[in-house]
Amino acid sequence: MKKNAMINRYRWWEMVLMYLGIALFLFFILAPFIEGFLVSLKPLGLLFSTPYKFFPENGSFAAYRTMWDSVPGFGRYIFNSFFISTVITIVVLVLVVPASYAFARIPFPGTGALLGAFLAVNMFSGAVLLIPLFRLMRSYGLLNTYWAMIVPGVAFLIPTAIWLLQTYMRRIPKELDEAAYVDGASHVYILRRVILPLAMPGIIVVAITTFIGAYAQQFIFALTFNSKTEFMPLPIGLFAYFGRQEVVWNELMAASFVGIAPAMILIFALQRYLVAGLTAGAVKQ
Amino acid sequence: MGQLTLTGVKKRFEELEVIHGIDLDIKDGEFIVFVGPSGCGKSTLLRMICGLEEISAGDCLIDGTRVNDLPPVKRGIAMVFQSYALYPHMTVFENIAFPLRVEKMPKAELTDRVTRAASVLQLDSRLHQKPGNLSGGQRQRVAIGRAIVREPSIFLFDEPLSNLDAALRAEMRIELTALHQKLKATMIYVTHDQVEAMTMADRIVVLDAGRISQVGAPLELYHTPDNLFVAGFIGNPRMNFIPATCLATSATGTRVELATGGTLTIPATRANATPGMSLTLGIRPEHLTLAPADTTLTITPTVVERLGVNTVAYADLPPIGTLSALLPGSAPIAPAQPVTLSFKATDCHLFDDQGQAFTRHVDTVTPVPEVAGA
Repeated sequence: MKKNAMINRYRWWEMVLMYLGIALFLFFILAPFIEGFLVSLKPLGLLFSTPYKFFPENGSFAAYRTMWDSVPGFGRYIFNSFFISTVITIVVLVLVVPASYAFARIPFPGTGALLGAFLAVNMFSGAVLLIPLFRLMRSYGLLNTYWAMIVPGVAFLIPTAIWLLQTYMRRIPKELDEAAYVDGASHVYILRRVILPLAMPGIIVVAITTFIGAYAQQFIFALTFNSKTEFMPLPIGLFAYFGRQEVVWNELMAASFVGIAPAMILIFALQRYLVAGLTAGAVKQ
Repeated sequence: MGQLTLTGVKKRFEELEVIHGIDLDIKDGEFIVFVGPSGCGKSTLLRMICGLEEISAGDCLIDGTRVNDLPPVKRGIAMVFQSYALYPHMTVFENIAFPLRVEKMPKAELTDRVTRAASVLQLDSRLHQKPGNLSGGQRQRVAIGRAIVREPSIFLFDEPLSNLDAALRAEMRIELTALHQKLKATMIYVTHDQVEAMTMADRIVVLDAGRISQVGAPLELYHTPDNLFVAGFIGNPRMNFIPATCLATSATGTRVELATGGTLTIPATRANATPGMSLTLGIRPEHLTLAPADTTLTITPTVVERLGVNTVAYADLPPIGTLSALLPGSAPIAPAQPVTLSFKATDCHLFDDQGQAFTRHVDTVTPVPEVAGA
């Protein structure tokens, strides 16, 4: 879009209003994070002083060093979170790519009903199904393993992923498949050589949303299906900062920021694709 | 060899029949154009020959072998799509090489074939570009390259030029005709543009609502259309139709009275014609002249289009609707000024009440000698 197009011209007070609006929303969303970050900079004693001071007087990054000593397994928790989310993302992609191709391209009875069912599954939160899931895990002997967190994670993320990707694949012109078919290509060949490369932005969007979803939903499954410290993901790991007598708030906040850092870095790196993928095809080129 | 026979080919979508039994013989090396208004089933018929749509009834034979249940590659055909259907993530080379990659051709032969196809289409310097960087005409050539690289015996084109602008379309038309002469393969070409049909075809198949209306060489369709549909479809501006009544018949002609007034003997006959029968007289706009001839029509033009080489006049003539006349570029004619036009009986077409044409007893093959000063 051209920057100086007539449709993008505003008066000065319109600009001020727009930025004021943006600032208001940003503050609303970011306030907890700002406060959390400030807390992580303060010595513990200062946190309970009255009157409460938002800005630390002699703030330091000490908590970011001491957090590793007070909870020695913290690195492992970050690794677990990352590991579980990565495995979930890979499994989801392996299952969802061919499934979406089938939904988008191969007409079969019950397409609509199946897609509707996927949407319905999405309406259940994992928490409602905890008890049946627990029994299922116990009968298959998956409790207290990585699988206890991976399997339900995959199951709850597949519907959204299929919806996202099959919509994306439907936008790829059908003539491309037909041309490839006329030239003798099989469905598998068409998927691999034509659809996959063209659906890459969509696949990256699915990968990112799945990864974020997996990162966020670990808490409830980890809490219920796993009691082994070495398999704990980050959200449970943070509980370790809840001491017997007091909560080490500044280290807890520091640990939270360190914990989400890898995911943040990944998302920033792939953000370009995220925006491109979510809007691609929205307007006819 | 690329000989194709269709016998009683039908297509049904659920309960709806869209192709009602097509019988057609296409000789090896022929350039056949399917033409018709939108929705007449021409694209569907092409997709059935291609193998993209199932044939509901009847047989499709290529070189004598029934191919109804064979996939496209095994039929030995290649298709060029209206939207080009190029793979945007592949280079021009890879796009052209795609069919050969599918059949796992050895690299040396593959490179050789792709380079040859590219040089035929003057794409040599573009082989490493992506389709997104090419112009419309170049993209179309890549799509054709992907078809010729497999060396099929039959080429199918589904409105390949309709996405190009007028100038490029004229250029590509000439290129396609040249390509056909070079490859000597059978080509079946679908279009709704009668100029493409007239200029490129060896034979034209006019389709109307899922039936073949007429098959013939371009000038055959122009001079001796079988029915009102073909008469109205071929020729631009379209033929004028004037209601008429049969007065008398003889072995050499039919005497008719026009609804616009006047009587005329037309050198055309039909066995079922009887006096009193209501007929339709067809006269092409280019056969209306300002110079006196057998019969006259007085019109008041509402719109006059000056094209330079020609002038087209449109007028409302109450019993027949709009009448058009194609006159010389500098014809002395203006809107709202009545003018008398004439036409010759030998230029007229006659159709019976079912829309079927009378046989014309006119020599349409020998060119008419130009009269000096005319």
